[in-house]
Amino acid sequence: MAQLLVNGLVTGLIVALPALALSLTFGILRFPNFAIGAMLTAAAYLAWVLNFYGGVPLVAAALFTVVLFPLVALACDAAVFRPLRDRGPITLLVASMGLSFVLENLCRLMFGNEARNFDMALTRPYRVMGVRINFEQILTAGVSIGAMVLVYVILIHSPLGRAMRAMSDNPTLAAARGIEATRVVSLTWLLAGALTAAAGILIGLDRAIDPQLGWNYIIVCFAAAVVGGLGSPVGAVVGAIGLGVIGELATLVVDPNYRAGVAFAAIALVLLFRPNGLFGRLEIRK
Amino acid sequence: MSAIPISVENLRAGYGGDDILNGITFDVRPGEVFTIIGPNGSGKSSLIKVLAGIVPVREGRISLFGRDVTHLKTAQRIAAGLAYVPQEFNVFRNMTVGENLRLATEFIGLRGGVAQSERDRVLGMFPDVAGRLGVQAGTLSGGQRQMLAFACALISAPDVLLLDEPSAGLSPRLAGEIFEAVQTVNAQGTTVILVEQNVAAALPVSDRVLVLVNGAVRRLAPATDLKARDDLAQLFLGEA
Ligand SMILES: Nc1ncnc2c1ncn2[C@@H]1O[C@H](COP(=O)(O)OP(=O)(O)OP(=O)(O)O)[C@@H](O)[C@H]1O
Ligand SMILES: [Mg+2]
Repeated sequence: MAQLLVNGLVTGLIVALPALALSLTFGILRFPNFAIGAMLTAAAYLAWVLNFYGGVPLVAAALFTVVLFPLVALACDAAVFRPLRDRGPITLLVASMGLSFVLENLCRLMFGNEARNFDMALTRPYRVMGVRINFEQILTAGVSIGAMVLVYVILIHSPLGRAMRAMSDNPTLAAARGIEATRVVSLTWLLAGALTAAAGILIGLDRAIDPQLGWNYIIVCFAAAVVGGLGSPVGAVVGAIGLGVIGELATLVVDPNYRAGVAFAAIALVLLFRPNGLFGRLEIRK
Repeated sequence: MSAIPISVENLRAGYGGDDILNGITFDVRPGEVFTIIGPNGSGKSSLIKVLAGIVPVREGRISLFGRDVTHLKTAQRIAAGLAYVPQEFNVFRNMTVGENLRLATEFIGLRGGVAQSERDRVLGMFPDVAGRLGVQAGTLSGGQRQMLAFACALISAPDVLLLDEPSAGLSPRLAGEIFEAVQTVNAQGTTVILVEQNVAAALPVSDRVLVLVNGAVRRLAPATDLKARDDLAQLFLGEA
């Protein structure tokens, strides 16, 4: 039981990062970025290339990636989303699907289909009161919690974070007050890119890196963001951790193959009673 | 620099295929309260939004103190001395009152002590708001919300203030407080352009009144002239 709880928490903490990224971009840009999965993949490959070809130690490669990948996200925005900004959410969603396809196949083209691994030493798991915890899990939890605290501080205590929340709250009013939308959008992509990069690397530590890496996370990422309330950063984090824990604990009563089913049943239940998600709010429509 | 705060020449604007405003021309005089009235859907909000730079101009010219601002963005017009309070959804509901005010200072680039003293100055005018800094703006009453929106607009110490139906949905007492605040700000030298449905309450604080019907100027007259008339309804319907 405690073991499942720990495993579920760590799984949830990994998913929390891209779910948070998804929620941030949705709040500002008003479309669900389907390319979040492919971005995880691309970030994992970027770190792997630095680590494997560049011979950069893994920690440094990871740090480089967290700095570099946000620029990739910004470039994706400039090339794909910015020209379509005023075209409505469906167009942008479809564009993000296209971007997803391009990113994934670029990775496939350059590095092939075979599974890659970071160059790192295997470590023995620790035992804490009968619960097995390995080093990667501790690292994952630490990085994820650290990143979330950082995002929280930015959102609540910095002028740009406040501007982001204002734009997510009421874009029309933000425009009427003369907010510089372009700057806020760029900052959002940088933040989302950094979160995605961190998550991509953590996933790469946990399992092999292949062009499909991100696919396994798209659904659960969207599920977490939706159950938390699309556009609510806190909701995305709570949704991700909740889904992770419920999914693991479910294996106590059902076959592990069905754990996703239990998690999704939980979502359906939440949405039944709170159609806007746990932390969702009523959108302003005119 | 010309002394005319706002000058509108032959303005045409609209949404999609339709023009909502057709050839509007007027000057606003320095230091006056210039009130725009007209039936629902006549284009009052649209006109204010064009002045604020939210809705683009299709034809004609807008100048702010003699400077052509027709194609300037909202932020640039704010920098040039304009402020705008929208008719509805005019506060950030999911943020606290304090955060709304902070944003107002940050949007115009004020930081630190200057920003704080600017917020204190404005809050001095709205004690009702000042006591609720930690409250979510979405949970404020209609009157408090209107005061907060007003306060945020005053942060930039605007030379020209655009107010779109600030008294809508308020009790007569609260509406009175709003109009009082309008007068206070106006007495401090700010030119006010006020859109109002509540004609009876607006006339006493107004200097001149523009009657907008179907996106065109039906009449522009001193408020005292309109006060004397009891045929406002006819004016609206287009028979006067
Ligand atoms: N964003 C928009 N897109 C399309 N049409 C619009 C838009 N905003 C307003 N309109 C139309 O423009 C016309 C004028 O609207 P506007 O809001 O300017 O009128 P108003 O005089 O402010 O009305 P009210 O007294 O109800 O506030 C209306 O027919 C309205 O339907
Ligand atoms: Mg209106």
